[in-house]
Amino acid sequence: MAPGCTKRFDPSRKPVFMRRFLVAIALFFCALTPVQAEDLQRILQAHAEEVANPSRRSVGVVLDDLVTSGLAQVPGFLENWADKNVWRSPDRLFFLGDVAGDVIEVTDLDSGETRSAPRAGFTQLKPNGGVRRLIGTALVQFQLADPDITRRESAVAAIARRPEAAQLAPLIASIDTETDERLRARKVQLANFLSARFAEAPQDRIDAIQSLAQDTSVEARSVLNQILQTEAGVGAAEPEGNIARLLDPMEAPDAYYAQLVEAGLAPARTGPAVIRAALEAHIDAGTVGGVPLAQLGTDAARERAYAALSKAGAVPPLVTEDTRDYALNTYVFYELYDEPNAEITAAAEAALASVEQRVAFAQAADLALDGLSLASIYFLAAIGLAITFGVMGVINMAHGEFIMMGAYTGYVVQLFVPDYTLSIMIALPLAFAVTFGAGVTMERLVIRHLYHRPLETLLATFGISIALQQLAKNIFGTQARPLTSPDWLDGAWVISDVVQISFIRIAIFVLALLFLALILFVLKRTRLGLEVRAVTQNPGMAASMGINPDRINMLTFGLGSGIAGIAGVAIGLYAKVTSEMGADYIVQSFMTVVVGGVGNVWGTLAGASLIGFLQKGIEWLNPSNTLAAQTYMILFIILFIQFRPKGIVALKGRAAAD
Amino acid sequence: MRKSFISQNPSVLWFLLALSLFTLGVVMLSEVTGSNVISTSFVKTLGKTLCLCLVAIAMDVVWGYCGILSLGHFAFFGIGGYAIGMWLMYARTEAIVMDSLQAQVIPPTPQEISDAIGNQIFGVVGSSEFPLIWAFADGLFLQLLMVVLVPGVLALVFGWLAFRSRVTGVYLSILTQAMTLALSLYLFQNDSGLRGNNGLSGLQNIPGFEDTPQATISIVFFLASAVALGAGYVFFAWVVSGKMGSVIKGVRDNEARVRFLGYHVESYKLFVFTITAIISGIAGALYYPQAGIINPGEIAPIASIYLAVWVAIGGRGRLYGAVIGAAFVSLLSSWFTGGGAPDVNLGIYTIQWTDWWLVLLGVSFVAVTLFFPKGIGGLFDYLVRKPS
Repeated sequence: MAPGCTKRFDPSRKPVFMRRFLVAIALFFCALTPVQAEDLQRILQAHAEEVANPSRRSVGVVLDDLVTSGLAQVPGFLENWADKNVWRSPDRLFFLGDVAGDVIEVTDLDSGETRSAPRAGFTQLKPNGGVRRLIGTALVQFQLADPDITRRESAVAAIARRPEAAQLAPLIASIDTETDERLRARKVQLANFLSARFAEAPQDRIDAIQSLAQDTSVEARSVLNQILQTEAGVGAAEPEGNIARLLDPMEAPDAYYAQLVEAGLAPARTGPAVIRAALEAHIDAGTVGGVPLAQLGTDAARERAYAALSKAGAVPPLVTEDTRDYALNTYVFYELYDEPNAEITAAAEAALASVEQRVAFAQAADLALDGLSLASIYFLAAIGLAITFGVMGVINMAHGEFIMMGAYTGYVVQLFVPDYTLSIMIALPLAFAVTFGAGVTMERLVIRHLYHRPLETLLATFGISIALQQLAKNIFGTQARPLTSPDWLDGAWVISDVVQISFIRIAIFVLALLFLALILFVLKRTRLGLEVRAVTQNPGMAASMGINPDRINMLTFGLGSGIAGIAGVAIGLYAKVTSEMGADYIVQSFMTVVVGGVGNVWGTLAGASLIGFLQKGIEWLNPSNTLAAQTYMILFIILFIQFRPKGIVALKGRAAAD
Repeated sequence: MRKSFISQNPSVLWFLLALSLFTLGVVMLSEVTGSNVISTSFVKTLGKTLCLCLVAIAMDVVWGYCGILSLGHFAFFGIGGYAIGMWLMYARTEAIVMDSLQAQVIPPTPQEISDAIGNQIFGVVGSSEFPLIWAFADGLFLQLLMVVLVPGVLALVFGWLAFRSRVTGVYLSILTQAMTLALSLYLFQNDSGLRGNNGLSGLQNIPGFEDTPQATISIVFFLASAVALGAGYVFFAWVVSGKMGSVIKGVRDNEARVRFLGYHVESYKLFVFTITAIISGIAGALYYPQAGIINPGEIAPIASIYLAVWVAIGGRGRLYGAVIGAAFVSLLSSWFTGGGAPDVNLGIYTIQWTDWWLVLLGVSFVAVTLFFPKGIGGLFDYLVRKPS
């Protein structure tokens, strides 16, 4: 037995507990002793009528005696009984029976001898559903100690599904002899849950409840919640029993009044609809209660007419707000724990509070993971944009379409390469190559001619964007295309019941880190990076130092577009590939760049983190409404730009000039 | 001595003349006069196009003259439409509800009427309560005031925040795009108080004129749109001429220099931004009763970008350019996407214009930006050569 458990279920302290415990132990040893002949039939004969016609109330005695007998035949008999395989012979003895036509094959319960007999005179025992459930519960204790581990596991699972008080003792008894480490831990946990709810001594329950305070699993929380179940009630005075809380009816007077009406303590509310119906039912020569019909267009007139009617005894008296409030104040509204012992509920409340605090921490961690993965997606989507914007001062509205192009590249590769791992390995560089090519082409054909006219570049690239989007629609159709991730990316890393993260998101995070490192390396450690930074800071000066800004611009644009292609593959893995997927990310990418600040990788990282965490945070505050979350986030960004117009990381000095 | 703005802008007279002739022609050929050459639905299309021309002029002033590439002006257009739509929907539903309640024996209380109207309007989004923003919906005058006030105030606040912190260039474009995205996302929610993605519908039925045929209503709105376009054209021609016009164009060409000359650049930009937003709202208020329905999709960021596309294709920095661009592209667009254009059979592949129109538009847009920065309006420069 686990050390913590020994203390909680100390058998010497509680006599009742000890008896059950010893019984269970004895039972276990008895199971190993040689078969004792004839005993099972004798026990059954002692309760012959309860066995033959069992009811849920009477069968308990039989089961108790069977279990205490410790006979090896008992589990087998119980299973057969529940499966309706037990028959009663004309001489009132019980046998296992197997009917074939007019002949019955009967097996002796104790000796196992088999003989054939004519079927006539034998009656089948047919225990009903309730009895079968009780038999099943009695069986569990045998299954818990079964040599076959799968049967033990299924018994444990059955207890977890439908915990009952009677299972507690056998479960504890089976812990000591459990050989499987994992199953033993599970049994200890379950025993804890059971004793929190069903242990006989209050102190045992409180100990078990307190130990649950450490457990953030959904099961443990549901155990605590079951202990804390309450029932709402209303009465003239505070009731006897374990009161959870008294309620203030004025918080929601109408709802509480409805409760009063339901309890038969007050007349039903006469709302406008009721009044109206009553008036319509008592129209008398163009008037109701002396008020002409034409005047009944106001609530006051209707109430006057109704009052006249009720005075005449035609309708029940009007229940106004005053009468309602008076009735509400006369009665006490309360919630009563199902559990009568106040100490136990107090312990459970404390445990639940502590568990919920832990769960809240875990949820915060989970939220942080979500935010992190969203931030990595935004980072991947935006970093290419940030590079081109930083170096060339060009906003590429077609960036989103490059993302889409990368995703479709992945989809096309998967059409030809069925192995998912391999196809992703091919798709990533290929997507880079395709979008790099597209980016360079676009730069050569269009953007080169529009330098120093940034607004027109924005519009020209937008023209390309709608053309590309429609082209993709024409080629691939409007329905979403799948980009399937390899098997090893399926599933999630489950840290606890609350904290988990899917492997794809981890992969995207890793990819984002990889690209952060790669881009930093290219920018800071290579000749190309040096030239790119020089052009970013001062194109004219860079050109006079022998750098060809034209070439740098082209390469930068290609690089930025290529990264968009990679991001497209990554995004396509967890979202659907459609011709509009780029448009879904483009505004967020702009935000990331604008918030982060132009021309700085760290700025983009900061922007992506801010937006990712912020979006998840707002979604958490208002989980039902992701649209509102996006709205509020955009409003926040608009305000943020007011205070840092150049973003979080702003370039300083002359480079910052427009 | 300063010349009058008309003589500075001879195009104003030409434009007004062309607009009058066009309007007269459409009215003569419409179903109202019995000639039936132009169907009612086409009159509506033309009327809507006039409204789009008006908002395009506003866009041209803010972008072509003042250099602020706003990618959010269609949001103001949509707000104007929503503002008038609220009254149209409320008044019409009220008439229907009153009709059905009259049939009952007991006259309804004000509360019952309001509940029934709310139920009719907001039933689709699972509510019957009137949100606060509908407070003025029962009065035409107040709601017309909203058409002007809401876009104006929104533009004023947004512009003040943006220009004050000197957000310029592409930053400002992105920010305005974010504004219209936020607005459309907000309106897409069911609890926004404007029926979520159902939008407002049945706007073509004008309360009080249930018995007037749509042919007449469409002509009335067409005329109103034409008058609004003419007035807007004259107003903006006045704004961009004279001293203020010079400052505005100066801001476009070199903001810093204008600032160093002692002008308060932000005030000028804010004025232009706000006044164009108000005109956009008015254009929207005329457009949506002709369209009959408005939903949040109308003010998605793409709509505002199309607005910029029209102005760019028509020719920036000239008011008639914006009109030409908006009319040309929007009519062409409905011709192509409406199946009016014949398919092109290339032997191995048939080009269906419903699929390829956007590709054509995108590519021609790039071509216009690259090769014809003056747009279609630039062609007039060849016709009207100023003596140098």
